Amino acid sequence: MTALLAAVGVCKSFDGFKVLDDVSFAVPERGLTGIVGTNGAGKSTLFAVVSGQLDADGGRVSFADADITGLRPMRRARLGLGRTFQVPREFAHLTVRENFLVAARREYGETLGSVFFGWGRVQREERTLRDRADGWIEFLNLKKVTDKPAGTLSGGQKKLLELGRMLMTEPKCILLDEPFAGVNPVLVEEISTRIRELNNSHGIAFVIIEHHLEALKALVQHLYVMDQGRVIADGEAAAVLAEPRVLEAYMGGVI
Amino acid sequence: MIAYLIAVGIIALIYMLLTIGLNLQYGYTGLINFGVVAFFAIGAYTSALLTLGGWPLVPAFVVAIIVAAIVAYPIGLLSLRLSDDYLAVVTLGFSEVVRLAIQQERWLTHGVQGLPGIPRMFLSLGIGDYAELATLAVLVLCNLAAIGLMLHLVRSPYGRLIQAIRDDEVAVEAIGKDPRRLKVQVFMLGSGLAGLAGAFYAHFITYLSPDQFLPLVTFYVWIAMIIGGTGRTTGAVAGSLILMVFLEGSRFARDWIPSVSEVQMASVRLALVGLALILFTIYRPQGMMGSRR
Repeated sequence: MTALLAAVGVCKSFDGFKVLDDVSFAVPERGLTGIVGTNGAGKSTLFAVVSGQLDADGGRVSFADADITGLRPMRRARLGLGRTFQVPREFAHLTVRENFLVAARREYGETLGSVFFGWGRVQREERTLRDRADGWIEFLNLKKVTDKPAGTLSGGQKKLLELGRMLMTEPKCILLDEPFAGVNPVLVEEISTRIRELNNSHGIAFVIIEHHLEALKALVQHLYVMDQGRVIADGEAAAVLAEPRVLEAYMGGVI
Repeated sequence: MIAYLIAVGIIALIYMLLTIGLNLQYGYTGLINFGVVAFFAIGAYTSALLTLGGWPLVPAFVVAIIVAAIVAYPIGLLSLRLSDDYLAVVTLGFSEVVRLAIQQERWLTHGVQGLPGIPRMFLSLGIGDYAELATLAVLVLCNLAAIGLMLHLVRSPYGRLIQAIRDDEVAVEAIGKDPRRLKVQVFMLGSGLAGLAGAFYAHFITYLSPDQFLPLVTFYVWIAMIIGGTGRTTGAVAGSLILMVFLEGSRFARDWIPSVSEVQMASVRLALVGLALILFTIYRPQGMMGSRR
């Protein structure tokens, strides 16, 4: 099995404190992978290193058969590795549709020259992208807020918006940082369904950090458990969560 | 009185060009440029020196725009490495460096003695109202062109992306777009506009000296943008007109407060402008035209 996304021996320290200590993980093509762990276990730092926001002190990251260690986030996104953020980073003053459109892959319409020349070409490009954006907006059930400024959306809607914005970039793999945090149970179910659909019909792989264990267990095929900067267990979700050392580390043995 | 109104109108329109440029940089893209006056000065001196050297006005104006934009390039590159607040410090410092360089490089700029005798625009119309009216008309056209360009730019995919950069640069990188390229371009574009404003200023005032290019000019432009409504082109228009009403209108305030001397009045005027800004931020924080920021 060749991995679509893999990290090997990733280390990261802040002020001498090891936040990531020799972390390795692999995500297969079209895979659904979960990462759980207590607060401070290093999950979000791992995402930041994998998506390029932070440079690793050691180790390699590869994606789609290419070594991407050291690439800027922008380049990784262009290769098809997208991410959402724990605290949504919507473009607050742009409308929902504009948020989608701004993320679309395009060559011409975002050059300074296109502002002055070739307006017809820009308009044609816009029409195509608009249809695609509206398609995803409908898919994510954001239709009634299409023309609202993204800053006015609810927390759950912002999560959907971030996911949709990522979809416009035509990704192969999306890293989701706590997609269910602060989201009501009905919407959790809805987001799960959408992720499954995207995985099934579009072949997009997902790596999901989540504290909502029940929802995650139902969603992912493979689960990694992190504690104090290390991966302490991995395997099939239900089996891993039943391991004593996972219970010990993750839930303090209460369950 | 007519001549006075025309002169005030010309200055207001020069400020309008500056405000439109700053609004592109800060209002739409989020670049904190505290060095507007530097590019204004560079445009003014470039065009003045070229015309004093025998160049015709039109190519001198064009070169003034280009030089101001080119000087903005390294500053724009710096802004990539700096977070917002540091860019503010760097640009402010840069504008003072430009002013001091003008003061010291006497062989080129005549230092504090200044550059006198800069050719007026529309000399063939004679000295007086007609030449100034023509200047006013050209400035109106330039402003209309700049406004049209901005309104078009903001609605374009390019404009959408610069506004996304303003809202969240990290997210822009996460969707695979390069904020750096656009930030440099926007910085150069806005500075070119300031260079054009400087050229108009030089050929209207006909005398340049370094003390005309204090950071105060930069802050007048900021005041105009904030009062008008940050992130709105119509705001830049309204704001620069309101600023001029305050700056010039406060001259006449002495008629109502006769006990204040001419010298004291200069300070009172600045105090009035400050008061206006405070009142605006309290009662209309989004500016005259409403803000998208």
